[in-house]
Amino acid sequence: MSIIRLYSAVLAEFNPLEPVVSVQLFRFSVGGWQIPVSNHMFMVTVAAVLLLIIIPLTGKSKKMVAAGYLANLIESICVYLREEVAKPVMGRHSDRYIGFVWTVFFFVLTLNLLGMVPTEKIIMLLTGRENHFGGPATANIWITGAMAAVTFFMMHITGIKEQGLWHYIVNFAPPVPWWMIPLIYFLEIIGSLVKPFVLAIRLFANIIAGHMILATFIGLIFILKNYGAVALSMTFAVGQSFLELFVAFLQAFIFTFLSALYIGSSIQPEH
Amino acid sequence: MIELTSGILAEAAGAAGRPELALFGAMIGCGVIIIGAAFGIGMIGSKAVESIARQPEAGGRISMTMIIAGALIEGVTFFALLVCFLAVFWLRG
Repeated sequence: MSIIRLYSAVLAEFNPLEPVVSVQLFRFSVGGWQIPVSNHMFMVTVAAVLLLIIIPLTGKSKKMVAAGYLANLIESICVYLREEVAKPVMGRHSDRYIGFVWTVFFFVLTLNLLGMVPTEKIIMLLTGRENHFGGPATANIWITGAMAAVTFFMMHITGIKEQGLWHYIVNFAPPVPWWMIPLIYFLEIIGSLVKPFVLAIRLFANIIAGHMILATFIGLIFILKNYGAVALSMTFAVGQSFLELFVAFLQAFIFTFLSALYIGSSIQPEH
Repeated sequence: MIELTSGILAEAAGAAGRPELALFGAMIGCGVIIIGAAFGIGMIGSKAVESIARQPEAGGRISMTMIIAGALIEGVTFFALLVCFLAVFWLRG
């Protein structure tokens, strides 16, 4: 009984899940339906608008060479993704699907990095109102699940487009003796459902774990309530923030790499 | 084996209406998951460092492969950890 009391005592002071949950901001009606808009949906919109404005602006250069530091940065990332990530797995088809690979990388990276910006604290400092405006959007299983669903559809649709439906189904499984074929098809179908699901879970769990640890370090200040706790917590919070920035880049890269790998193995049957 | 025991413990305790033992089982599960993940990633790291020492010019490709394998293992770890967290929330609420 006492462990439940300890839980309630800690949660009464500070709930570590509170900065990462998705909270409805407002609702608008379209036709006969009500569509709620949450803070994560708002961050997704902010990321989309940011990318749609910044990337075409940096891409416009009068000469053939990228000009300016932002254009060079984006171009070096794009070249790296094309040469080292897409070309080894997709071969000569890589230029058809490189747009998808670039989009996934920049979108996930922007969402992760926007999650590190404490927008609700900034707004509270400026206006003095408690709000829950911005949060880590990739800390929402539905958002990462939606991106993984896009990867799932890209896997199968590109495979069917490149190889034709019959050849895609025939080449779906590696060549095995005839009596193992039903088992192998069953396993491959389950694998093709599990792979995007694990993509979603990996990104979601990494980001939400990092943010929960950060929130717990800062929540320790509210629980312990003395200055030594402030010094120690802030040191650990800074270290954790560095780790989370690294995890933001790494998880975006891993999501992109695995999406490219799955699409590449759909396009080119591996034998 | 340990996972099986803690699973049975959690099930029995949950059915008996005392959530603390079930919490205990779920937390032991979390610990065992971390043991497996740390062991796997440590092995990958050590083999990667050994092979870079043997052949320094392949260093870039080996470290890239190490990071990718590490992220894959971590994905499975977080998946299992999430199942443990779900068990804790179901038991509490």
